[in-house]
Amino acid sequence: MSDLSNSRMISASGMAAQAARLRLVSENIANADTPGFRAKSVSFQAVSDFMADAGSVRTGRVELSTAELPQIYDPGHPLADENGYYEGANVDLMVQIADAREAQRSYEANLKMFDQARQMKSSILELLKR
Amino acid sequence: MQTNPHIASQLYTNAQNIAKPDGPQSSGSSLFAEMANDFMATMKAGETTAIAGMTGKADAQTVVEALVASEMAIQTAVSVRDRVVEAYQEILRMPV
Repeated sequence: MSDLSNSRMISASGMAAQAARLRLVSENIANADTPGFRAKSVSFQAVSDFMADAGSVRTGRVELSTAELPQIYDPGHPLADENGYYEGANVDLMVQIADAREAQRSYEANLKMFDQARQMKSSILELLKR
Repeated sequence: MQTNPHIASQLYTNAQNIAKPDGPQSSGSSLFAEMANDFMATMKAGETTAIAGMTGKADAQTVVEALVASEMAIQTAVSVRDRVVEAYQEILRMPV
């Protein structure tokens, strides 16, 4: 494997990781009104040098937000306790949108690197054609 | 002077042994075969992934990844082939 094809493989792993991150953001936003839902997030890990795909990134375990669940007052809600409160979701939409935008930017950066590696390989082959 | 046929045949055998190419026959061709096999594997993987993408079994990113890999393999193979054919034609044009 040449460095350029390794570079493409690593960029692709970055794109896959950002896609997984965006999927969790979608889950969080979709469940923003689900009672008792905790926001999910994922950590990224570098693949160690002993593996075949060294240098690429992979997603670690999914973690649940430990922020306190908000108490929402709605006596008519089926889950409401005797005081009229129930536990909502601790999803902060602002944070989720920011996370989604960051995932998009990182995806674009990885895509650019992927395309750059492709173009570099193409241009070196162009030299061979002359 | 009388020549000994036995010594002559021994010398001949020695010369044959020296002239014989040693080691595996032309490591260049086996290298080419390896390259061709590698190329075929990449192309097959690209095709399989493209079909999987069309039937909805693979996502767009995987398809792009595999297609770019096969594109690079084709470009390399075509460039090398053109060079080899060119060199062969150069030999054909050589005045004898």
